[in-house]
Amino acid sequence: MIVIEIVKRTIRVAKALMTKSPAVKDVRFEPMHHPSRYRGKHRVNYETCIGCDSCNKICPTNAITMKELPFKKQNIVPEVNLSVCVFCGLCEDVCPTKPEKSIILSGGRYDMLSGGWHEDQDNFWVNVDIPKSYIDSRLEEEATRVKKELAAKKKAAEAEAKKKEESLLPDFNKGVLE
Amino acid sequence: MQSIKDILNSFDCEFVEDYKKVWVKAKLNSKDDLLSVAKKLKENGLRSLSTVSPTDFLEDNIMEINYFFEDLDTKRNLWLKLDLPRESETCNIESLTPIFPSANWHEREAYSMFGVDFLNHPDLRDIIKSEDFTGKSPFRKDFDWEAHEKDNLTNVQTIVDAFKKEQAENEVDLDTDSSETILNWGPTHPASGPIRLRVHCDGEDIIGIDPDIGYVWRALEHLITKKDFIGAIVSVERLCFMDNINSMTAYAMAVEEIADVKITPFASWMRVLLGEVARVSSHFMGLGMFFNNMGLHTLAMWNMDTREFFLDFLESYSGARIATASVEPGGVRYGLDMAMFNELQLAIEKFDSSIGEVEAIFVKNPTMKLRAVDVGVLSAQEIHEFGLSGIVARASGVKTDIRIDEPYAAYAELDLDYIIQKDGSAKDRFEMLFHELKQSVNIIKKAKKKIEENVASGEMNPTKDHMVKVPKKLPKGEAISRVEWARGEVLMHLVTQEKAKTPYRLKIRAPSFNHTMMLDHLLQGQTLSDIPLIFGSLYICQGDLDR
Repeated sequence: MIVIEIVKRTIRVAKALMTKSPAVKDVRFEPMHHPSRYRGKHRVNYETCIGCDSCNKICPTNAITMKELPFKKQNIVPEVNLSVCVFCGLCEDVCPTKPEKSIILSGGRYDMLSGGWHEDQDNFWVNVDIPKSYIDSRLEEEATRVKKELAAKKKAAEAEAKKKEESLLPDFNKGVLE
Repeated sequence: MQSIKDILNSFDCEFVEDYKKVWVKAKLNSKDDLLSVAKKLKENGLRSLSTVSPTDFLEDNIMEINYFFEDLDTKRNLWLKLDLPRESETCNIESLTPIFPSANWHEREAYSMFGVDFLNHPDLRDIIKSEDFTGKSPFRKDFDWEAHEKDNLTNVQTIVDAFKKEQAENEVDLDTDSSETILNWGPTHPASGPIRLRVHCDGEDIIGIDPDIGYVWRALEHLITKKDFIGAIVSVERLCFMDNINSMTAYAMAVEEIADVKITPFASWMRVLLGEVARVSSHFMGLGMFFNNMGLHTLAMWNMDTREFFLDFLESYSGARIATASVEPGGVRYGLDMAMFNELQLAIEKFDSSIGEVEAIFVKNPTMKLRAVDVGVLSAQEIHEFGLSGIVARASGVKTDIRIDEPYAAYAELDLDYIIQKDGSAKDRFEMLFHELKQSVNIIKKAKKKIEENVASGEMNPTKDHMVKVPKKLPKGEAISRVEWARGEVLMHLVTQEKAKTPYRLKIRAPSFNHTMMLDHLLQGQTLSDIPLIFGSLYICQGDLDR
């Protein structure tokens, strides 16, 4: 009897060891459930952002501050303080840029707090780091645009002056003819 | 309804009119009439006073007080308004607490937040707000929050000093010959949550209980007035996260009424579906906490397991498990991807396969029945007098359920029945939770089927129908809305000004406020060991208790 009992128990333990555990995901590296709408860490696209300030205005916890850029137009871009943010996603809702929004939470990273790396937790901001080359190119663009505009203005002014002269001419001619 | 109007017409009223289907709205001209009106109303059957809500009109120099009377039996309700002068010397009115015991804490709240003085109130002390606000009325429009915040450190010291003084006075005040002591139950008790009960006891016997609340006071009603109409949902849902969707529904309904917007059938069915999912998630916690408070943690763990599946659906739909922020004025915030219903189906299957075990082991548990059957008994009479609602009211056999009494969203199309128990003990309240859980899952099944059918036939477009545009600026107006929240009846009273971009005032009547008021009444003469059990059975959440 004892022998049978021993065999039975051995088989039971062996079976338990053989069956695969239902918990198969290591959630430190891979989330259990990560839908596409998951509201996680923000991503800000400084290239498409038009600097309309509406995300800052709607933010219910004032987690967003606008970083100033050295441009004349589109000169602000949102930065998010993650320790204040409640991840409601309203900033994404109101963002007017199309087809893709400039500030996106959906599908964002979830492991801002749970990821165990110390360096990750030092900086609780979504900062917008703009490379110098981009700033330079934008400034250049702006300068050429301003130049163009100035040239266009000058041209327009010249054209107007000419028009005035021309409009005066017939009067003068008229007078002569009479 | 006609009898209420007759009573009011016999007094000096500015107007008496019908409001919605089950309300009468009226305004009294003189505050001297209030007591006699209230007495007649009570004789007429309006036995519960739902809440007292002052609104501060700074420009008109008026403090308007709104009383909401309810009759839980015949579903007649009265919204009574009254103007008071704003100056703190003359801003007083006769207290209704002697006639309607449920007014007790609501009047204390109005006194603390707006400085309205209630004459002949039996116990007019500050409530909710901390000691550094003593003598100030933080919800008045001219209150300077920035100046208050400036003295942050001294404020904290005031709170500490007040606590120390209270403890020192306890030592002196109590008779040294008697064995009476004051115990602090909470805020660090494992069953309490952020609430402190001052338990006056003699040995094991409880003489009385004086709850100290306000540990999670966030001044939500004030915060909302600082946000726009959409951003306010973030504050409203923080009423209590366990059932956050129904509170947003109540707020959205009030805004829609003022903006005169009608939502699509798809949105209203989604509100039913999401609301019931939130209710399931809340009831699971309630069931688990009841057993936790009795010392057995298994049920809570099991419930968490099933609850996860429902939260998965919420997460797929809205992007967050708990703080969903998914109901906006004008409908629901997101469109629906029909594939999400597969996840809901998984949750329902998990529920169906596991609920039998819960019933056999916990709901029919003989030890639980022995322990909880005679404890914390509330009679139907007390339910009416103290204005209780939700599962607490229905466990005592009172047929009240806003989903049936004043149907909102798509509840009118559902064939719902009142689920009631007879005796009103702690055991009955626990069983109520269980039966309502099953009812909610049934509603989810029906709503899901309805949406699937209508989408298949092309009547609803799940990606486009979810929102109707609500204008950013609302006209001047006011509205009330009620929903059956997981813990009871939530009433919201929204006031807007001309061309409003933000709410001017939002009063949230939260059920746990009334239920906590009952603790003293229920626990007098009981023993200390009954505190966690009765507290757990009342299904209290400190989030909506303090707001």
